Amino acid sequence: MTAPDNSAPDNGSAPDGGQDLDVRLLESAPSVVSVLPQALRPRARAALPTLPRHRYVLADLEQDLARLADYREVTGGVLGDVVPASWLHVLTFPLHVRLMADREFPFPMLGMVHVANVMTQHRPVRAAERLTLTSWVDHLAPHRKGWTVDMVGEIRVGTEVVWEGRSTYLAKADRPATEATPATGATPATEHGRADGHAIPGPEVARWRLPADLGRRYAKVSGDVNPIHLSALSAKAFGFPRAIAHGMWTHARALAAVEPRLPGGYTVEAQWAKPILLPSTVELRGALGAGAGDLAVTSKGGAKLHLSLQVSGR
Amino acid sequence: MSEQSSSALRDAVVVGGNRIPFGKAGGAYAAASNQAMLTAALDGLVARYGLAGERLGEVAAGAVLKHARDFNLTRESVLGSALAPSTPAYDLQQACGTGLETVIQVANKIRLGQIDSGVAGGVDSASDAPIAVGEGLRKALIKANHARTPMQRVKALAGIRPGDLAPETPRNAEPRTGLSMGEHQARTAKEWGITREAQDELAAASHHNLARAWDEGFFDDLATGFLRLSRDQGLRADTSVDKLATLQPVFGKGEGATMTAGNSTPLSDGAALVLLSSREWAEERRLPALARFVDAEVAAVDYVSGEEGLLMAPAYAVPRLLARQGLTLQDFDYYEIHEAFASTVLATLAAWESEDFCRDRLGLDAPLGSIDRSRLNVNGSSLAAGHPFAATGGRIVATLSKLLHEKGPGSRGLVSICAAGGQGVVAILEGC
Repeated sequence: MTAPDNSAPDNGSAPDGGQDLDVRLLESAPSVVSVLPQALRPRARAALPTLPRHRYVLADLEQDLARLADYREVTGGVLGDVVPASWLHVLTFPLHVRLMADREFPFPMLGMVHVANVMTQHRPVRAAERLTLTSWVDHLAPHRKGWTVDMVGEIRVGTEVVWEGRSTYLAKADRPATEATPATGATPATEHGRADGHAIPGPEVARWRLPADLGRRYAKVSGDVNPIHLSALSAKAFGFPRAIAHGMWTHARALAAVEPRLPGGYTVEAQWAKPILLPSTVELRGALGAGAGDLAVTSKGGAKLHLSLQVSGR
Repeated sequence: MSEQSSSALRDAVVVGGNRIPFGKAGGAYAAASNQAMLTAALDGLVARYGLAGERLGEVAAGAVLKHARDFNLTRESVLGSALAPSTPAYDLQQACGTGLETVIQVANKIRLGQIDSGVAGGVDSASDAPIAVGEGLRKALIKANHARTPMQRVKALAGIRPGDLAPETPRNAEPRTGLSMGEHQARTAKEWGITREAQDELAAASHHNLARAWDEGFFDDLATGFLRLSRDQGLRADTSVDKLATLQPVFGKGEGATMTAGNSTPLSDGAALVLLSSREWAEERRLPALARFVDAEVAAVDYVSGEEGLLMAPAYAVPRLLARQGLTLQDFDYYEIHEAFASTVLATLAAWESEDFCRDRLGLDAPLGSIDRSRLNVNGSSLAAGHPFAATGGRIVATLSKLLHEKGPGSRGLVSICAAGGQGVVAILEGC
């Protein structure tokens, strides 16, 4: 993702990294299931949406090693002392959902599409480390299909920032915010099946067979129980012919493939294109050798792009 | 090997080692697979010796309790590590002798000039043990898989009986005798008249020695913490002979039963590796040479007929090794005798002291004699550290090599490891 376009309307954003927002302390990670009803309730349509002016902080979190082991298995990794950036995203996810469930959040959660993500791992984070998570929302921007908004996460060990993540969601609106304003960030042109500016890199290096129950298995380890991932039936209710793979599963699986050669600090940027319908066989493309570079997950044969990843060392 | 031919070979030296602290079964590493632990131990070794991106001669390791999916366990671990993917690897398995056998393999290849460097060791998880489907179910599934028509497939699957669905868990028992290792050892302990008190004393010493070694920082450059464990989980620094005396016997029956959970090794999880190389390879990288690999011997005994105890093979391997090297049992500064059970160590020592055993079983004119017990397992052994089967050899070789290096050039150490199947793997190292 490129730097967000600051010239775009930016109602309620927090350009200084969320520091001016009210802090709401959480005692434990919110249960996604329990806040789901609030997150799903329809919102009053405002002509100009505004964002919550608070951030959530969950201090001194002990990582659940059994869950981490399951997460690693489901996402094709091996349990190690150093955790992947994608796992740290999963830890902040309940805070994002909590924000989306708040009255001040302008869009209903379902129907929000995770279109892009950027994570920076400042140094290797260990499974034994206790973490302080912060989450807020900023960069509300018009998109020709509605609005985009960034769910932001930050993880500290003590006072040291070790990880930062930014998930860009597209909230579709019946009446687009503006026909003329382009999307902020590197929001992909999803209907073209190809992310802007990222050619599909090279031949396939791995083939993954994704089982029909992958969404349920990943939901269990990630807490992301969005019904579009769980079964064909629940996915149909939201307009998908079958269940679709979690975008962050595909991301984590691709990252695991390059993990042994990742530098200690790295930034990984992701743009999702076409969803992966389950079950499915997909291909990983790109250069694994250097530990940094461009990767893509495509359909078999490479006709359809599902995910573009750019990994760069720090 | 004669002195002459061995002098034609170059030296293989132990550069160092790395292990993760050993966990109790179902404990700190309950969620970790063999591959996870082996990769962690390997990455720790790579970090300690600055080997990231390097191509080594080979990595040899193994596991005793192994999932079918882990057929290429060591290679998969190398591919998941920071080593160059062009580093070859293979799995080797010789029960509890696995770790030491890999050291012998890698050392011999280095001595022959086939490779310049290599990593040897092993891993085991008693927590994440493989569970197999019963024989009936397995055969029906294979038949169904080979079926050419749907009807054949249905017929094959219809042959499955409810009883076939019970899973088979691995048991710590000898396939040919149906007896557990502890039951076998209880016979040997009785035969040699090994007392409960002597066993408990050995167990207490193992805990106290290991605790002191950790306290002194001896393992600071031999172990890397993993997950939340920074010391061996089964270590009881505050145990005593009195406390151990309160435990009920678990192996052997009735009057005279002496073996308890306190003087037998617990089921454990862990991984241990050793880095070996030629002297030149180590010098080029300004890495230390802790100890020189001198020689090794493997023996096997007929425990099936009951002629010899299951874990007594090292009693045969050591005298053969001593004879080849022209050494006596007393020519060592340190003895590392794997504590499968306290009584295994004591029965082995008793055998070497016995005139009858040395004459009748070993064909020697005189007994090997006794050892200076203050040189035995001086920094603790398996009773305190735990015994993830294939990891024990790597733990012992790294520990002994460091001890010998501290003692000085020419100091000598003996390693003795008993293994299931009535085998024993032993080796001699010399301080550099």
